[in-house]
Amino acid sequence: MADWTAQVFQNEYLPDGATDVHAIVTVTSQGTGQAGENGGAAEAIIIDCSGSMGAPRSKIIAARQAAAAAIDEIADGTWFAVIAGVGLAQAVYPQTGMVQASERTRAVASAAVSQLSPQGGTAIGQWLLTGFEAFRAAPAAQRHAILLTDGKNEGESAQQLQSAIDTVTGEFQCDCRGVGADWDVNELRGIADALLGTVELIADPADMAADFQAMMQTAMGRGIADAKLKVWAPQGAELLFVRQVAPTVADLTDRRVNVTPLITEYPTGAWGDESRDYHVAVRVPPKTLGAEQLVARVQIEVGGQVVTQGLVKALWSDQTELTTRINPAVAHYTGQVELAQVIQEGLAAKAEGDTDTATFKLGRAAQLAAETGNEDATQKLKKVVDIEDPVTGTVRLKRDVAKLDEMALDTASTKTTRVRPSA
Amino acid sequence: MTCPSCGAAVAEADAFCESCGTELPAAATDRATLTPATRPEVAQSAAERSARTQLITLRAEPDELPAPPCKSCGGAVGDDGWCTVCGARASNGREHVTEAPTPTVAAVSDKGRIHPRNEDAFAIATKDGWIALVVCDGVTTATDSDAAAYAAAQAARNLLAATDRPAGSADDRQQHWCLQVKAAALAADEAAEATASKGDANPPSCTFVVAIADGDVIVAASVGDSRAYWLPDEGPAEQLTVDDSWATEQIKAGVSREEAEADPKAHAITRWLGIDSPDVDPSTVTSTAKGPGWLLVCSDGLWNYCSDAAELRDLVNAQPAEPLARAEALVDWANQQGGHDNITVTLARIGDTG
Repeated sequence: MADWTAQVFQNEYLPDGATDVHAIVTVTSQGTGQAGENGGAAEAIIIDCSGSMGAPRSKIIAARQAAAAAIDEIADGTWFAVIAGVGLAQAVYPQTGMVQASERTRAVASAAVSQLSPQGGTAIGQWLLTGFEAFRAAPAAQRHAILLTDGKNEGESAQQLQSAIDTVTGEFQCDCRGVGADWDVNELRGIADALLGTVELIADPADMAADFQAMMQTAMGRGIADAKLKVWAPQGAELLFVRQVAPTVADLTDRRVNVTPLITEYPTGAWGDESRDYHVAVRVPPKTLGAEQLVARVQIEVGGQVVTQGLVKALWSDQTELTTRINPAVAHYTGQVELAQVIQEGLAAKAEGDTDTATFKLGRAAQLAAETGNEDATQKLKKVVDIEDPVTGTVRLKRDVAKLDEMALDTASTKTTRVRPSA
Repeated sequence: MTCPSCGAAVAEADAFCESCGTELPAAATDRATLTPATRPEVAQSAAERSARTQLITLRAEPDELPAPPCKSCGGAVGDDGWCTVCGARASNGREHVTEAPTPTVAAVSDKGRIHPRNEDAFAIATKDGWIALVVCDGVTTATDSDAAAYAAAQAARNLLAATDRPAGSADDRQQHWCLQVKAAALAADEAAEATASKGDANPPSCTFVVAIADGDVIVAASVGDSRAYWLPDEGPAEQLTVDDSWATEQIKAGVSREEAEADPKAHAITRWLGIDSPDVDPSTVTSTAKGPGWLLVCSDGLWNYCSDAAELRDLVNAQPAEPLARAEALVDWANQQGGHDNITVTLARIGDTG
């Protein structure tokens, strides 16, 4: 039986007339067990086999090894399939649908992936749809895919890709990996965000096998097939936004499903033993000094049951020493979300040749990374800009920046560091 | 139902007599042996009824009784104690609670004018020859501190009520109570800790103060900034307890009392009861009642407007003589000063002869 907790970090004290309440809710799950324990699990491994994967040849060799490493981690009884991404996706193993993992099927699948060869184009939408078809053949409630590409989606239109994403959204989760410097960070991030997965850059093909192995281990360690985040706000309130802020930033606001006029629901996918932070912002009509109000119930629902709840409150006070406090968790994540945004905007401006905007945005990023102690972001920024003064955010764009360094900064921009406020 | 020890009316579900704190027989069959004809009729004052309602409300499990609808909008109240429509907190039934177990003892606890609910709690034990007054003040900045304060006060009272105090010398009795108040603080802390829920970032916590008058022996102990005063009719008035607070630390360090207590941080307490409490060993104080006077145990909702013991005695003596009326008048006075906090006043008249 999984053990869930929800901790709320906020300053509930509002000055006279204030309306906006911000809170960070940390949801933690423990003892979730293994994937597939409730209704079975299915895995799809989708490997880009476009022509470019053969140049250099080390890419396709690494991809074969990575696929085999992932297959090795699939637990007995889990349904799985390996799909080759070419112009139209091709089943590698089994021929149709999925098979259950066993020593034998894993061996056959590994033998099949060792034969993968580069041919054809990149049509990621088609790959996703083929993956979906395979999933539909397996009697498993928990569906997860790994998608590897080395290029942009050129074999089909952007509309075709988007339509495929829409079709499979909510059907399976997908972790996306880009190898090399020729794929589009925004494109892959869009897929990963919609399909509740992660996106990572694999700069060196030699790192791919370890990454695939880790990804599959994580997927196999998710004993909760599907959890929903539910947010209640009182009558007359406006839910300003709901964001996941750790381990990565994802705005959930647009994914909401209205359950009742007061309750909205957001998919969060499968859970292992982990912790995720959510930033909830609610606007309520102000009340008199001394009044108190519950402004949000933040709940996790699994299988129709609320398993944990955090309460976000407001208390209007004339004590300025209480109302002027800024909750460190709220401040930290507000900074981290802006950091992700300015990195992405700065890199986009740089790509368009708008040096002023790029300098300004990446300067702000350097400042925020320093303020919020995001050392990883600072290190990645340093490969793109010279940081002259992190306090004021004064930076100079570097002249010759490796494309991979820019992509690494962009891909990691949504990763946040955590704070643990003292109380 | 009546208490076998003091004869006060008790409810079937009560484990302890609310008037004297005696542990009541657990089995209902024991109670059934008392036929209605043998029960002494005890008139139930409005104050007693109010205190009883409070107890019953708080003891009810949420799934046993449907919660009454929200007082603000009439919507359904959730299991979490908040309205599911407008988000108002359900009443804890303690906006204004009074108790007067004997003609010389009274307590009033009031929400005040600013706080949304009353997080103070009191509990009284009266027995032959001695009385204990307990006050706990729930820390507003922590979650569900009203439950912690209530549980802590009850636990301390119950422990004290169950003790066999020696009939011996004043020294023996003083020694006994000095040990018992420490045990009461630990019991109160355990009860406060039990109200914490898993994963609470800001677990419930409360202050603790107890004062016991046993003949002329007075023993008081506290954790936090709720206070006990001994206000004799003649001779110097005494603040018995020393606050565990920022202000007190400043005063110790040489800052004037007025200046320290005027600081916004004055009320920040440095010790408390609850799961996140570092240390709950109370400071114990003793005194001797050389003549008649008032034993006053109160929360900062009262003393914040009148901290000095001599001034407080003048204030207490300016109120109606009857203890409950006096306690009510002191609460009214604190509300007139602004009622910025919950106000709890417990009073016992000590040492009158005849």
